[in-house]
Amino acid sequence: MTLRTARLLAGAYHLLMLFFVTWPGNVPFAKAEPLILGLPFSMAWIAAWISGSVIVMTLLDQVEKRNRVDHGSED
Amino acid sequence: MEQWIVVTIIISAYLALTLTIGLMAGRKQTSGVTGYVAADRSFGLLVMYFVTGASVFSAFAFLGGPGWAYSRGAAAFYILAYGALGMAPFYWIGPRIASLGRRHNYVTQAQLITGRFPSRNLSGLIALLSLIAFVPYVTLQMRGAGIVIEAVTDGNVPIWLGSAVSYGIVITYVLSAGAMAVGWTNTFQGIFMVVIAWALGLYLPHALYGGIGEMFTQIIAERPDLLTGPGLATNGEPWSWGAYSTFILVSAVGMMMWPHLFMKAFTAKDDDTIRRTVILFPTFQLFLIPVFLIGFSGVLFPGSPPSSDFILPFMILETNLPAVIVGLFCAGALSASMSTGDALLHASASVVVEDGVQQFVDLEERTQRRLMQALVLFTGAIAYVFAQDPDSSLVLLLASAYGIIAQFAPPVVAALYWRRATTSGVITGLLAGTATAFFFWQNPELKPFDMHEGIVGLLVHIPVLISVSLATPAQSEEHLDQFFG
Repeated sequence: MTLRTARLLAGAYHLLMLFFVTWPGNVPFAKAEPLILGLPFSMAWIAAWISGSVIVMTLLDQVEKRNRVDHGSED
Repeated sequence: MEQWIVVTIIISAYLALTLTIGLMAGRKQTSGVTGYVAADRSFGLLVMYFVTGASVFSAFAFLGGPGWAYSRGAAAFYILAYGALGMAPFYWIGPRIASLGRRHNYVTQAQLITGRFPSRNLSGLIALLSLIAFVPYVTLQMRGAGIVIEAVTDGNVPIWLGSAVSYGIVITYVLSAGAMAVGWTNTFQGIFMVVIAWALGLYLPHALYGGIGEMFTQIIAERPDLLTGPGLATNGEPWSWGAYSTFILVSAVGMMMWPHLFMKAFTAKDDDTIRRTVILFPTFQLFLIPVFLIGFSGVLFPGSPPSSDFILPFMILETNLPAVIVGLFCAGALSASMSTGDALLHASASVVVEDGVQQFVDLEERTQRRLMQALVLFTGAIAYVFAQDPDSSLVLLLASAYGIIAQFAPPVVAALYWRRATTSGVITGLLAGTATAFFFWQNPELKPFDMHEGIVGLLVHIPVLISVSLATPAQSEEHLDQFFG
């Protein structure tokens, strides 16, 4: 994957996250049931997006690092 | 031995340990301003991670978070939602700030902004707004520390004494060692806080309801409205989506603009450290889950605390936990308060001297450092006076502090990414945004869609910044090349 695609995808993920944790994207998911791992659905929904963010940013970092090595520069 | 004595002994031991770590840390640091403010740009991943995490999670998260979960249910989830959103842009912005900091020797946020938009008045304005936002924030931390100590010692150690002792210690190590002490004590306090929060958050639902799922099933049966977003407002009525969404937005925009967090980019050893911190930061955010669980465990519990902010100490005391656990919990809550308070005190002194005073009077490095230390004491004293007054409007002040802080985002982004932005554009934008936020804070009934006043402020700020910039002559290419390098 190129650096540009990786950055776009990481940016897109967080924009989607913003949409799905605020109005109006959050409305269908702001319900108490079903419980997920014991947690209310509304809470688990946000926790899942946060966990996704860790994964997305880790993957992005892999791509960024590979690119920095290839070009041998700091930026 | 009486319970409160055991608790007091544990707290004392904890405070003594914090003080030792704080004082030891400062011995390795150089005596100049870069040493005191930016810890000689030496922080590795472990310290950066906990410095950032522990500075974000304050008495507000540790006491206010469970308080919201307890009284306002799903409304509390906004605190969970904004962290990852606010941090992600720093993956790119952070290293950029750090590289400009290394090149031009910046140690504060205003230095970066005025490096691009040279103006003493802009620098002074940023210093003033930062200080206005900082004081209520420090006050809350001190009061939080005092409340916890008073609650768990059965009132034997009153608020004035508890906050005086805990913040006496904070001020001692901030004065003597600056950024290095803040870094190492936060690492210790951060680890402590996470362990205590998870242990109690998992224990209480099990002890009281037989499990987390069981607890929520019972809450849903009795209080079906509580767990449905966006939760409840302070009056118990359903909260508005406009307020919930803009609280997330303003917190995400404002979070890294807090000078004490922004300046962390200057303390990092290298860019990889900043990037790793950004990537790992959301794991710190998940630490709010057990904290919320503690709050939720109080919902169906018989009896209620004097105010929802007391729910955490209330649950700890009412469930007859052993004195050692109560003491450890108290130390965890103090960690949350002190690890934010120290960073705030340290940053406010650095900002006022570097960006305010120093712009108008030329001071020697030695004098600067002395003045910063005097200011730590001064800010601490003001906050201490406020902390003794149970004035509920301070919570409102804190919410508005975010309205001010979020206004720093457009100047920062313009400084880093928009070559056509001008000094006049940035100053008028900042004034217009802050004035709008202040106006709607004073007149909440006029807010469109119940939006947070900081967001309304940004809606005015950004167009003003852009249009005034375009209407004024562009900065010289020479200046831009010199800044960007």
